[in-house]
Amino acid sequence: MSTTTPPDRRGDAAPEPALVWRGCTKTFETPGGGSYDAVRDIDLVVPAGRFVSIVGPTGSGKSTILNMAAGLLEASSGEVESFGAPVRGVNRRASYMFQQDALLPWKTVLDNVALGLTFAGVDTREAHDRARVWLERVGLKAFTDRYPHQLSGGMRKRTAIAQAWIVDPDILLMDEPFSALDVQTRQIMENELLNLWSGSGKAAVFITHDLDEAIALSDEVVILGAGPGSTVVATYEIDIPRPRDLLEIRDDPAFIDLHREIWGRLKQEVERTYAAQNERESA
Amino acid sequence: MSAQGGTTRDDTALQAAGVRRRQGRGVSNLAMRGLQLLLALVVLGLWELGGRAGLIDQFFFPLPSDIFATVWTWVSSGYVFPHLWVTMQESVLAFVIGAALGLFLGFLLARVRFLDRLFDPFLQMFNALPRVVLAPIFLLWFGLGIWSKVAFGVTLVFFIVFFNTLEGVKGVDRVLVDNARMLGAKESHLLRHVFVPSALTWIFSSLHISVGFAITGAVVGEYLGASAGVGYAIAQAQGVFDTRGVFAGMFILMVVVLVVDVLVNRLERYLLRWRPAR
Repeated sequence: MSTTTPPDRRGDAAPEPALVWRGCTKTFETPGGGSYDAVRDIDLVVPAGRFVSIVGPTGSGKSTILNMAAGLLEASSGEVESFGAPVRGVNRRASYMFQQDALLPWKTVLDNVALGLTFAGVDTREAHDRARVWLERVGLKAFTDRYPHQLSGGMRKRTAIAQAWIVDPDILLMDEPFSALDVQTRQIMENELLNLWSGSGKAAVFITHDLDEAIALSDEVVILGAGPGSTVVATYEIDIPRPRDLLEIRDDPAFIDLHREIWGRLKQEVERTYAAQNERESA
Repeated sequence: MSAQGGTTRDDTALQAAGVRRRQGRGVSNLAMRGLQLLLALVVLGLWELGGRAGLIDQFFFPLPSDIFATVWTWVSSGYVFPHLWVTMQESVLAFVIGAALGLFLGFLLARVRFLDRLFDPFLQMFNALPRVVLAPIFLLWFGLGIWSKVAFGVTLVFFIVFFNTLEGVKGVDRVLVDNARMLGAKESHLLRHVFVPSALTWIFSSLHISVGFAITGAVVGEYLGASAGVGYAIAQAQGVFDTRGVFAGMFILMVVVLVVDVLVNRLERYLLRWRPAR
């Protein structure tokens, strides 16, 4: 196992779920001195090795839920557990892919990918060797010495994938990682992500507002209600067999049926969000 | 596939930018240089003719030919070099000490909120003080030698570097910090891989100003009281109503600062090579 594996790692046979949210509420203070709940009483379980997407209308606190699992945000009440241990500070079992560019602009692609190993104290040569292997895997072998601004959006996302995967995390947290890409690049990236993930045994939590994307990638889709104070309103099992070809899956009858069913539920929440928005604006 | 798509897009963008630049420029680089030379010659020529015809008072505005002759005398006799050497020493020391203090305090205050709040009003007060008024007191404290000028230059350089460091560290993109923390960065890692490089971009962008201020500090300090330095040489010339000497000193300083600026540009381009071209 890699040197990044934390010492408190349990035996492989332990059936502990990768992530459990127990009655998690997150309250934010507003600048005016008031406060509001971004999410309320979130109860959710992500078993190890499972791909779960969280979908919800704008402002439903999707990122808040993810950040609590990452340990970047602390729940105001309730608790997040990861593999049986409560999350205190940054979750060392998880990697995070952000919606925005999170590569360090002053480091080359190679140094960016090697970053997690550098932090773990791996010596530079070995870190670079392992980073090269990852860059080859994501098709960026020829771009190791470039700086992030010299890459296209899709290439930056590949670098971010390599950066997140090189530390061999047990959990992948992804916050709309491909939302800034054009539709074609996005489908290619989704396919590549799925190829990397399948058989890796890693748990994945994927935030998106795109239901197509959620169904195509996941074992389970979780629907959040309209915010603020949103909570889990429904979960759906996605039983489309794997391996899936994401470039074809949107024509699959099973996909179409699931999409119709889930969209029926999601639509209510989206409509509620817009109704609330209009009310606020006219008030 | 998307990789190729990206490269093609970039190439097109580059070509488009190239076309725009060529259209915008209109005149080629070489022709522009020629025009600039011509403009300088015309202005200097009119000045020279005006002086010789008696339209311009030669005492207050010495003839360009006389100024260049004085510059040549100062350079060929070696008179100016010891003075330049002293000024350069003072500038370098002022820059290094001022930048080091500014960096240190900038990082400290950006990371320790308590100290930032404690020191804020005092730093604002000192920054509001016109620095030139410090020169006489520094002269008394540190004497006529180089240290009074260094101290003066430090007060100028310090605040620029300090405020840029403070902003640079505070203004680091939250996502970069979160990403590094998720990848296992400890506080020392964050400092070395995230905060320092981010602050350095701000400091390098202000490098021209702070280097200029270091030289300004040295020359002004010398002018007010010294026994050597270019500022002292100018003061000496002024003392005997030698306006040619004053102008010659100004010209030499100008050339030196231009050379330093070119070097700073090179350094900046190298150190900030990861930044997208503007």
